[in-house]
Amino acid sequence: MSHHLRRLAFYLTALWAAVTLNFVIPRMLPGNPVDILMAKLQQRGGSVDPAARTAYETLLGTGGRESFAEEYLAYLGNLLRGDLGVSVSAFPAEVSEVIAGSLPWTVVLVGLATLLSFLLGVGLGAVAGWRRGTWLDSLVPATTMLSAVPYFWLALILVAALSSGLGWFPLNGGYDVVLDPGWSAEFIGSALYHGTLPALTIVLSSVGGWLLGMRNMMVSVMSEDYVLTARAKGLTDSRVMIRYAARNAVLPSVAGFAISLGFVVSGSIVTEQVFSYPGIGSKLLQAVQNNDYALMQGIFLVITVAVLGANLLVDVLYGLIDARTRDRSTVS
Amino acid sequence: MFLHKRLFALGLVAALAATAACSGSGGGGRSRDTLVVYTGQAGDYQLNFNPYAPTQIEGPGTIYEPLFFFNIAADAPPKPLLGTEFTWNADGTELAVTLRDGVTWSDGEKFTAEDVKFTFDLVAKTPAINKTGFKGTTTVVDDTHVTVKFSEPSYMDGPQVLGQLWILPEHIWKNYPAPATEVNDEPVGTGPFRLGDFKAQSFTLRANPGYWGGEPALKQVRYLSLSGNQAGVDALKAGSIDWQTAPIPDVANIEKNYPGYRSITLPLNQVSLFTCSNAQLGCQGAQTDPAVRKAIYFGMNRTQINSLAFQNLNTEMSPGFTLQPRDANLLSARLTDRMAPMNPDTAKADRLLTSAGYAKGADGVYAKDGKPLALTVKVVAGWTDYITALETLSQQLLRIGIKITPQQLSWNEWADARGRGQFELLIDSVEQGPAPDPYYTYSYFFSTATTAPVGQAANPNFARFSNPVVDAALAALKRTDRGNPARQPHYDAIQAELEEHMPYIPVLTGGVPNEYNAKAFTGWPGEDDLYAFPAVWKRPDASQVYLRLKPAGS
Repeated sequence: MSHHLRRLAFYLTALWAAVTLNFVIPRMLPGNPVDILMAKLQQRGGSVDPAARTAYETLLGTGGRESFAEEYLAYLGNLLRGDLGVSVSAFPAEVSEVIAGSLPWTVVLVGLATLLSFLLGVGLGAVAGWRRGTWLDSLVPATTMLSAVPYFWLALILVAALSSGLGWFPLNGGYDVVLDPGWSAEFIGSALYHGTLPALTIVLSSVGGWLLGMRNMMVSVMSEDYVLTARAKGLTDSRVMIRYAARNAVLPSVAGFAISLGFVVSGSIVTEQVFSYPGIGSKLLQAVQNNDYALMQGIFLVITVAVLGANLLVDVLYGLIDARTRDRSTVS
Repeated sequence: MFLHKRLFALGLVAALAATAACSGSGGGGRSRDTLVVYTGQAGDYQLNFNPYAPTQIEGPGTIYEPLFFFNIAADAPPKPLLGTEFTWNADGTELAVTLRDGVTWSDGEKFTAEDVKFTFDLVAKTPAINKTGFKGTTTVVDDTHVTVKFSEPSYMDGPQVLGQLWILPEHIWKNYPAPATEVNDEPVGTGPFRLGDFKAQSFTLRANPGYWGGEPALKQVRYLSLSGNQAGVDALKAGSIDWQTAPIPDVANIEKNYPGYRSITLPLNQVSLFTCSNAQLGCQGAQTDPAVRKAIYFGMNRTQINSLAFQNLNTEMSPGFTLQPRDANLLSARLTDRMAPMNPDTAKADRLLTSAGYAKGADGVYAKDGKPLALTVKVVAGWTDYITALETLSQQLLRIGIKITPQQLSWNEWADARGRGQFELLIDSVEQGPAPDPYYTYSYFFSTATTAPVGQAANPNFARFSNPVVDAALAALKRTDRGNPARQPHYDAIQAELEEHMPYIPVLTGGVPNEYNAKAFTGWPGEDDLYAFPAVWKRPDASQVYLRLKPAGS
């Protein structure tokens, strides 16, 4: 029990540290929301009238009257009440509203793409490891090269070739704008169609890591005694590969997968930029560009909680699977 | 302002699109009644149709109308909208407006003078939406007449009150408890368009069949959100947008590269080197000496800068900061150079620096009191046309013995430095006000009232320029009605002072590039008929364009 209490205390401390950093770091950015709003509006032919600045200052309530400490205490208090504040860049929308509107898009797109990439990488890695020395080995340099190519470049090339050139996929967006978001078959079909190319780019650029890790684990597991025993028993090749070798080889990848699920929430800012995708990454960029402290804090909080949550899950699962991780006294 | 976007990245995408063989460009020729526009909206739309909110996504001009339309693109009288006529009393303290009769709100209610009074009073008593500093008292005379009283002569507030205050329906807005933060999801206005449907990625405006000027020929306008300029160019290439205001690569050959599309580039922003000019307000560096500023002015080869950095789209600029050619009538005879010289006058630059006590060092760079004449110019990273302009300029100036070093900063950092005066030089543009009158530019950028000591945010007199002659002329202009010939001596005085002190060093007048689908729609503003400023994000100008557009072949 004390193990779980210790872990819980650790996670609470980590959460507090993260929440505090969330507060401090955005405030180290130069500029303030009002000036940035003014300048943004001027770029779109807005007024440079000094009266406009006064009005926006009043509206956004950012006169800088409160001290740093007061703001921090108010921030912690609001967090405890679940109040993330009002977004300046999407004024007067609540931060929670902005996040709720964009998070599902990212979770579904990046989540599915991560899952797909994991399954594909692990599957291919298992086969490549099992049949090492054959042509399958060329999968390793091929996929790692795709991972090594800068992501935005890969994505732009795919857009140019498959969308602009061949017209197989839409150029950008999360769904056909003439449709109403909802649970209609037409809308879901459109969302899937628009999500395919972004998902494809994520899979292409990340599958190499899973494949390489899995293949190498397969190779080392194959020299274990229990694999030899299974072979000696005369089991079929595929049974040995899947039930004996791959099952053990996949363990480190599963841990890695749980962690990467935590990062799904933070989305893929570049993906969402390239494809004009309506997810949380584009909102984070919007927040940073507009010095929208409340929105930044809200998004960072969601990311932090997701990463910590994924870690906690892995911790608990490992504690269940492997007693050695539970109790310090048994470790020599 | 719009030019400085990532032209390099644009070129990259365009090159990719071109190499990918058959780029779909079928959109150029369709005849249809929906106009698709891209206003530069990056990321999702957040529903907000409050015309007074800084984060509103549409409304001024299209849904909500002002009393008059002031066209800043041309020196023309204001166009009557909800008002039909206005007159000032003799001392400029009372404005009488005649309103249009027979106008209805889009929900069927009748528009009356009470709505105008309600709107004006709401703005005057709500600081958070009073973007124009309006302090008048409004009285309803009868159903079609109102008067607005000011405590001082306020001719110059006319365009703000008449052209920038969007009239709201009292019967709806009186129920809103907090007008400043109201998102107004079902806007009811008198304008030519009504809200169609709204989605985060796009929304539409539909023609208002009950519009007092007759139902517009354009039946629908769709606003799209894309991720930025690159996406805009892609969409233009694919023919999926009809109008955008942003730079594209090789705009001179638009008709070849984007069949069916045309472009118009109109001068608006006076690109200048902003200097922290005033040592008394805390500015430091060699640029506080007017001789140095003028040496840079004369050492500049504007022809070369225009061709290397601005695709030759920019035009000449006057050192008196009147917007040319719009303000041709106001151009002062007291200016030494009516227009900033396009070619350098190095001898003059040398003379200026020598008589200011500078002497050339062994490395060919001028120095004074052992300190070389070296300045840093701040520029936003990614504003490639400005960066190219500065690289070119630094080579030009090095030849006459001035060393300038461009320093690229993030947008926020740059804007912060500009506001607080923590710069020697920076490149930006001087902007226009609500009417075709340089008075507004002068009062914003050159008045002592709009500056602040270094360290505090100035807005927007970033150069910290403070000059009694200019201040006195501005005060006199405020007391004189627009169109009165008595104004010219004051304009002359200001222009002469600006040329003399040069707190902002003129570079070129920057154009705002527009690309539009001329095959599917007719009626676009052209150089010979500038009925509105042609920029899709310019409100209420865009609504005037929508009103004129007709689907081709209808």
